[in-house]
Amino acid sequence: MDFLANLQLGFSVAFTPFNILMAVAGVMVGILIGALPGVGPPSGVAMLLPLTFGMDPTSGIIMLAAMYAGTMYGGTITAVLINTPGESASVVTCLDGYAMAQQGRAGPALGIAAIGSFIAGTVGVVLLMLVSPALAKWSLSFGPPETFALMLVGLTTVTMLAGDDPLKAYVSMLFGLTLAMVGFDIISGEPRYGFGIPEMMDGVDFLPVAIGLFGLGEVFAGTEEKQQVIKGSVRLREVLPGLADWSRSKWAIARGTAMGFAVGVLPGAGPTVASFLAYTLEKRVSKTPEQFGKGAIEGVAAPESANNAAATAAMVPMLTLGIPGSATTAIMLGGLMMWGLRPGPMLFEKNPQFVWGLIASQYIANVLLLILSTVFIPLFVRAVRIPYSILMPLIVVFCVTGAYSLKNSPWDVGQMLVFGVLGYLMKKLGYSPAALVLALVLGPLAERALRQSLIISDAGIGILFMRPISAVLMAIAIVAVAVPIVRKLRGNRGQSPIS
Amino acid sequence: MTKADRVTAVLLLVFALGFTGTALKYYPYWSETGPGQGFLPVWLGGGMAGLALLLLFRRGRNEAIEWPRGEGLRHMLVLLAATVVFVSFLKTLGMVISTAAYLAFVVWYLGRHRWWVTLGVAAGAALLNWLVFVHWLRVPFPEMGVWIF
Repeated sequence: MDFLANLQLGFSVAFTPFNILMAVAGVMVGILIGALPGVGPPSGVAMLLPLTFGMDPTSGIIMLAAMYAGTMYGGTITAVLINTPGESASVVTCLDGYAMAQQGRAGPALGIAAIGSFIAGTVGVVLLMLVSPALAKWSLSFGPPETFALMLVGLTTVTMLAGDDPLKAYVSMLFGLTLAMVGFDIISGEPRYGFGIPEMMDGVDFLPVAIGLFGLGEVFAGTEEKQQVIKGSVRLREVLPGLADWSRSKWAIARGTAMGFAVGVLPGAGPTVASFLAYTLEKRVSKTPEQFGKGAIEGVAAPESANNAAATAAMVPMLTLGIPGSATTAIMLGGLMMWGLRPGPMLFEKNPQFVWGLIASQYIANVLLLILSTVFIPLFVRAVRIPYSILMPLIVVFCVTGAYSLKNSPWDVGQMLVFGVLGYLMKKLGYSPAALVLALVLGPLAERALRQSLIISDAGIGILFMRPISAVLMAIAIVAVAVPIVRKLRGNRGQSPIS
Repeated sequence: MTKADRVTAVLLLVFALGFTGTALKYYPYWSETGPGQGFLPVWLGGGMAGLALLLLFRRGRNEAIEWPRGEGLRHMLVLLAATVVFVSFLKTLGMVISTAAYLAFVVWYLGRHRWWVTLGVAAGAALLNWLVFVHWLRVPFPEMGVWIF
């Protein structure tokens, strides 16, 4: 009964004209952002976050979550039409999506991606609704050692999967943690690394860092590349897939949804990993694997379903445990903290209207996504033709305004600019901005939990291994650190261990 | 290891040592109640220094980094310089005028669009920005004397 009452509460929150408007705006902006190569979901969420400051937090998170769902579909448009994924979760869609487009079947490819995204997103929300309260209840028993071990799991697993080079990903994570140390000490209240600069005493805000790394950094990277322009158009009646297409895709959608949710719920795995795994699984179970890469519609349906299910699933650890499942949810987590909410198990107890409003709005966002992505597809295709010479400066202005609006301070704008340059360099040198932002968000929470653990402990750091839940979590964190090292050592057998 | 990787590793090492040194010098590592404010920074700085050394001395990876050249480099540097000027003049010129001037220059420079497209984008975006942030979200933008709107 509790469950139904909560859902009813959620729909009463989500079904207000303003929140529906926010969901529509989120989906539309998300599709557009997802369709722009180089501007991924974390950039979009970071840039839009300042717009939510004047809003009620529930409306804000509804807009951001709807946008996240929209970006997952938006990336498909350019992946199918010009073989350029709008964001990383659509990389694998290029293989068969573009091949279909070359055969004159771009419409059905985009159509099945929209339908798959809708089904996966909706099933994902049902599972989110079923899993989250139980997980939140379980984690209510967590003390400081379990909380610290959990943060460590979040940091290590996300970092493990953050880039091609684990060493650089860990350096990025540690750099983020060092930035999190700046400002007033969370236990003694004494200033730390402020160097007498008043603005530094408040610490390094995550928003200018996130906007700089993801928004401005991507713009700098984008200006040096020649961008492809979409030619041709897609008409509405071409978007609907035929019965044969549906028949070939239905089980691919089902498998992609299951795989996407299972992978997405793990901290760090996220939509990109889910889409690759779903594609691999689909090819493996297919009776005609030789058609994959040559325009098999299952090769579009499975990864597109998986990335939407994973995007929804990534909210499970964020809402229940306070650890994000992806870079985008790391930024959303920072947003929750800025709104004064404490993500984690108590969120369900203290802010049910927020959590259930968000869950209910996800149903609405998925319906909107299906309608908008099919009805307005010709419009979106036209919109992403805006020249980059116009788009890039507009994004810069949006980044500057967003950073300024945090505290109406030019200091934040300067910080954003510095991190924009740093973001560009990190991208070039193979470091991970996602790991940095995650560490900056989780750093203060992890430090508080660690120091509290040590204060109550008689056994020093041993307390983390003496309680069953924290011991298991610590073991997972150690495995997450060890796996890339072992893999590296095996790969380089015969060479120096650090080569 | 590319030259850029080595330079980065050295910079990270210097940063890590400075970070640890500052913690050891200014912040207590341990207090009567438990770990002090220098406790975690010392470990983080030490860990980072260790990783920086691993980066510096590892072998094997030698993937060339594609740095921008020619027109791409020029576009990026001009965009960066224009953005620095834009940010520097925010307080002096106000958000609306500096936004319009920045957009007019960068849109013209990157795309060589027709003058009415360039001015339309610059004025339209500056106005929209003002409407959303000042009018709707009540963010007090920096302004030059008197509001032009």
